[in-house]
Amino acid sequence: MDNELFDISSLGLSENELFAKYDNSNSDSEKITAPRYSYWKSVFRVFFKNKVNIVILALLALIIIFAYIYPLIIGYDPEVDPFKNLLVEGSKHLKPGPAIQKFGFSIHYILGTGNSGQSIFDEIWYGSSISISLALICAAINMTIGVIVGAIWGFSKKIDLIMTEVYNIVGNVPYILLISVLVLILSASFWTMVFALTVTGWLGIAYFIRTQVIIIRDREYNLASRCLGTPIFRLTIKNILPFMTSVIVTLLATEIPSYISNEVFLSYIGMGLTDRSLGRLIYENQVAMSTVGWEFEFWSPVVIASFITVVLYVVGQNLGDASDPRTHM
Amino acid sequence: MTKYLLRRLLHGLFSIIVVVSIVMILIYSLMDRTLIFAQDTNYTKYANNDKQVYRYERWEDYGYLDYVTYTDYINELAKNGEFADDAARQKVLNFAKKAENDSEEVAVYVKKFTDYYKEKGYEVIRLDAKMLTEAKYATGGKQRLFVVRDIPLTTRLWKFFTGLFWVDNIHNAEGIADEDRGLKFTFNDPIREGKFSPTIMGNGTTYKYLLYTDDRFPYIHQNLFTIKLGLSYTVNQNVDVWKTMTQTQGALVKSEVIYPTGYVVSESAEDLHTARYSYGSRDLLPLYQLKFDDDYTVLDFHLSGMSRMGYSFVIGILSTILAYLLGLPLGIIMARNKDGITDKIGTVYVIFIIAVPSLAYIFMFKAIGDKLFHLPTTFDTEKTNLAMYILPIVSLALPSVAGLMKWLRRYMIDQMNSDYVKFARSGGLSEGEIFTKHIFKNAAIPIVHGIPGSILFSLVGALVTERVYVVPGVGNTLTKAINYYDNGVIVGITLFYSVLSVISIILGDVLMSMVDPRISFSSKGRA
Repeated sequence: MDNELFDISSLGLSENELFAKYDNSNSDSEKITAPRYSYWKSVFRVFFKNKVNIVILALLALIIIFAYIYPLIIGYDPEVDPFKNLLVEGSKHLKPGPAIQKFGFSIHYILGTGNSGQSIFDEIWYGSSISISLALICAAINMTIGVIVGAIWGFSKKIDLIMTEVYNIVGNVPYILLISVLVLILSASFWTMVFALTVTGWLGIAYFIRTQVIIIRDREYNLASRCLGTPIFRLTIKNILPFMTSVIVTLLATEIPSYISNEVFLSYIGMGLTDRSLGRLIYENQVAMSTVGWEFEFWSPVVIASFITVVLYVVGQNLGDASDPRTHM
Repeated sequence: MTKYLLRRLLHGLFSIIVVVSIVMILIYSLMDRTLIFAQDTNYTKYANNDKQVYRYERWEDYGYLDYVTYTDYINELAKNGEFADDAARQKVLNFAKKAENDSEEVAVYVKKFTDYYKEKGYEVIRLDAKMLTEAKYATGGKQRLFVVRDIPLTTRLWKFFTGLFWVDNIHNAEGIADEDRGLKFTFNDPIREGKFSPTIMGNGTTYKYLLYTDDRFPYIHQNLFTIKLGLSYTVNQNVDVWKTMTQTQGALVKSEVIYPTGYVVSESAEDLHTARYSYGSRDLLPLYQLKFDDDYTVLDFHLSGMSRMGYSFVIGILSTILAYLLGLPLGIIMARNKDGITDKIGTVYVIFIIAVPSLAYIFMFKAIGDKLFHLPTTFDTEKTNLAMYILPIVSLALPSVAGLMKWLRRYMIDQMNSDYVKFARSGGLSEGEIFTKHIFKNAAIPIVHGIPGSILFSLVGALVTERVYVVPGVGNTLTKAINYYDNGVIVGITLFYSVLSVISIILGDVLMSMVDPRISFSSKGRA
């Protein structure tokens, strides 16, 4: 056989028509033509596809502006502002109409005045900022501890035995009792309340996460991963937590409003904050509910508290739905 | 199965003990003790040493510590024949305004007292007299000498659990000759003379009537056996928590009463069947001598209302029934019309209940019931108006309806795609049949688990609802106890709560295994 290479130049073809030697190490060969996929981009694409969500987000923005920025703009001082009109005659317990007549139209008096002539509108939004902050801080603490402990709880059989026992026991202590005793012991400040709501609050979340972890920890892809020698920690972070994002977001959606509800409830039974939070306002205005002509003072904080919790809940639920990859098709 | 249940029960018992200890530690060790005086109007009336003593006395009442005064100690010694006569005792009792001024005799006994209790771990407190002038005491400034010791948790727990069950016996009453003690059975109760009513009466027992029958529901009553959950101090002064929860309330029911001596009062609410022994009481009041022929003189009243637990239970059980009656069909309808208009409306309602603070919607229900239907919004035990039950029942039922709707819908939709449903459909069953006979049966299994819990927990009532509608129930009692720092009630109700929750979970499992034969307690898979 003729071992010599065939000289292609002898064929007289142009450069383009000939096969060219291709560089093997060229990284182009590694490129995949599919578009880049980003999980969170995909989540928000799905989230914003639903027009209702835009409305709800706008409402949420409104709530945040009124609760956090509005008191700053008007320079609300909880020590001074509630008693500003204390000495003004005929300024107490006014409905919106008379209040505006008395003080002239301003945003402060669109919900009328309270028992010392203060603006209910300002008072409610200042109270909301306390309540929302409380809810967010509690949710952040409880969710962090709950998810971490829950993940470990789900993985380790030894810890499972101990933690399940702890859960059964603590679950038997009436929730309200525990919180009230803690509030009694530590006096009712903001951080005491945070402590009381988080000291056992994470346990329920951890139990929920534990169940979810147990469900997916023995799926085939995790078994395979474990066979390949992935350390448990990486397995949890890379394989399991991403799977549970939607579950966690949905849980968060129920948790945040529930802290506001709890705060309102505790205030109502007299265990609440000393700061003028939403719950405190509702507690103080209980008398107004059954007094003819004063009902507005009671219902305003109740309605706004409900409004805030519903908006927070719906945003969370829809974000939870959107963060489920199965809806991304 | 029995073995498994027994193990579960033991397990439950253990967790109950732990729960009670946790609550006791929280209340007795961690909480600021002076808080209990916050609601106490008497506290401000005392000054100087009297105030100190009052504090320790209250703390003893509330179960914080043991408190023994020097006087108690000397009197105890006197009982044992330490002193020749009363004058000698009086002499020793008079300790001086300051420790260094004690007479020699007194000093001996004070030392004896101090040494005796110090050895037992008590702390000796001697408060010197506070004087205005040489001879005049300041208000409440009299000298005091006493010892105190905190009750350790273990002792407290032991006392609490051993004192839980109380059985009357014929050695309880003091001052009755031994040969007179005993039980007597009669077919004709002397109080209901002429009528046939079997009765067991005791002499020497705390209660006179241990077992009796009458024409009041439930017709057979007993005083022989009682549960004791600890004394209440502010909510219901010096009455046991269990009794606080179970005794009737409301207006007096008066009728003609013939007392044991034959003395007749035409209008009295006293219930002779509740007669309790009080040593020497008959000699105290001429009226007692007129009415009674023995020392069983302490009586309760016939009252028209129900007990706290009774109100809570009636409202709770009716609302549970209402919730299931509404929730189950609504859940099925939602699942059948998935993504339809009824499903959407139902979902909005469920979101409303979950997201809105419970207080807010209960007030909304109250306002709607008041304005639109003119229903009574406050509970009144003096009246027997049935309409006042409506709002509390509805306010309790509507939120649980939302829960039932949510879960039943979820479980049914999960079942809808399973193979057996497809098979049933291919077999030609109608959709209605598939839903009620196949899907519902399977979807209801987890729902069944919650039924015993919702029934048992109606015994403890609802915190918010009872407060909003002023229902005199158990839920209201707990919040009141917390507000008034009534430790005994808090611990007692905690125990009651945890016992109920342990029982309801076990019963839920049993019920579930009865409904679903696939669930078995003997299989190894269940933990």
